[in-house]
Amino acid sequence: MSLTLRKMLHNFNALAELGNEINSTHDFDEVVRASLHMLLGTLAIPRGAIARYSRAPRQLKIVAAKGLQKAIGQKISVAPEDVAPLVRHAEPLQLQAEQNGLSAFVGRNLEVFKRLRAHTSVPMVARGELVGMILLSEKFTREAYSEDDIALINTIARHIAIAFYNHRLMVSLRRKAEENQRLYREMHATYRDTVKAFGAAIDLKDAYTSGHSERVGRYSEAIAREMGVSGRELDHITVAGYLHDIGKITVDRSIINNPRPLTDREFKELNKHAATGYEILSHIRHPWDEIAFMAKCHHEKVDGTGYPQGLSGEAIPLGARVVTLADSFDAMMTDRPYRARLPLERALADLYRNTGTQFCASVVVAFCRLLLKEITGATRERVFLTAIGIKFDRPAVVATLSEMILELEP
Amino acid sequence: MTVDIQMRLVEGVAVLYPGPYLNQLRGESIERCCQELLSSGVRRMVINFAETELINSIGISILLGVIEAVNEARGMLVLSNLGQSNRELFEMLGLLAHVRIASSEEAALLTLNGERQGAAI
Repeated sequence: MSLTLRKMLHNFNALAELGNEINSTHDFDEVVRASLHMLLGTLAIPRGAIARYSRAPRQLKIVAAKGLQKAIGQKISVAPEDVAPLVRHAEPLQLQAEQNGLSAFVGRNLEVFKRLRAHTSVPMVARGELVGMILLSEKFTREAYSEDDIALINTIARHIAIAFYNHRLMVSLRRKAEENQRLYREMHATYRDTVKAFGAAIDLKDAYTSGHSERVGRYSEAIAREMGVSGRELDHITVAGYLHDIGKITVDRSIINNPRPLTDREFKELNKHAATGYEILSHIRHPWDEIAFMAKCHHEKVDGTGYPQGLSGEAIPLGARVVTLADSFDAMMTDRPYRARLPLERALADLYRNTGTQFCASVVVAFCRLLLKEITGATRERVFLTAIGIKFDRPAVVATLSEMILELEP
Repeated sequence: MTVDIQMRLVEGVAVLYPGPYLNQLRGESIERCCQELLSSGVRRMVINFAETELINSIGISILLGVIEAVNEARGMLVLSNLGQSNRELFEMLGLLAHVRIASSEEAALLTLNGERQGAAI
């Protein structure tokens, strides 16, 4: 085989290796370092470096080096007027020689080039943009670079330049995606805060139910999560919990705060709040229609005797069944104008007695599991314990909850 | 990730065996091994390529670094048992005139011991 053919095969092989490396899933800094090694090894060049170009500050910074100590991080200054000639002459430049329009650039950085023992520089350009520079020492044999060498260096430089360009695009896209995620998180937090503020505003109407909407929101979220609900559905159930009583803003304050038994007329007026809440919430566009329907159904009962529509079983959305339980539990655990708060043991007995008629069994089971975990310290969450306090017969409650789970779990 | 490079000391000369493929992984292991040898005062080395079927461009690049490091430490390095394709590679890169080559490990050891004796005289 002739030497020319061997050299050609050698160069092809180098380009194939470079292609594999650039397309690999290795860390980008490692790709750059390996690419430099390939270039140097292919032409038997003992020392070299690759610098990445940045616009702000305008400079070339060494990101990979071979055969040079303390080269990484060194900077090559680039003046605004250097950029165009560097892009124009994107091919090997002998740094000692007078360059086309680049003598100022070379002169300004002569000390750095000497320190880096750079003999030749190759600006790396992709899509008309300067993306970096390769610095090369003399060949190991001290021979001058041949025309074939220069052609190969140009080809390899173009490949590395495209890899740099694509990497920069990827980094930019990743930053934009991260920024969008951050904005989304901020918007979501604002949205949740707004919903909570609405909940607090609803509760202001009722002197006895301060914090009720917020607690129902938190309870609903915890129960639904315990049932394996996640993502947007969990979010909707939580919001429905916070806003389930929004219809009460249209009910007369004297009815809501009435300490005496309500008259039929007053009951009818009060019971309108579920449907009124739906009217208010359903005007907000999707996905609020689901939330509106959950809020509307929070007084429905699984046996079909609730209001406003008398829905039963699974015709009542899961979120509404969760909110119903959270709402009732909080009502039992807080003082009302017509009665004092119930002891926890009594509230659990009421829940058990009404499971299958008012409450959905699987929701009750999830609630019991969660409360049991909090009481026994199996979780560090304090969703219910914060509200119910510590005044209860712990062993008895633990036994009751365990029995309820055993009894009601399908 | 690193690979272990086989090495033995023969009368103060380190003989290294790069294995079947001198690539980045094995090259870096050889480079590290040579640096440790130089730090510990071993200045004469042989790299035996008898088992080495292929040397890629990164392997060459790292090998050049090793040759330079040994030269800078005023040491001596001999490459031995180069197969035909590896010999052609070195020839094509113009390296044959710049590195010591021996046909066998024994010949390489003789070269190095001869030079030491010569230096002692």
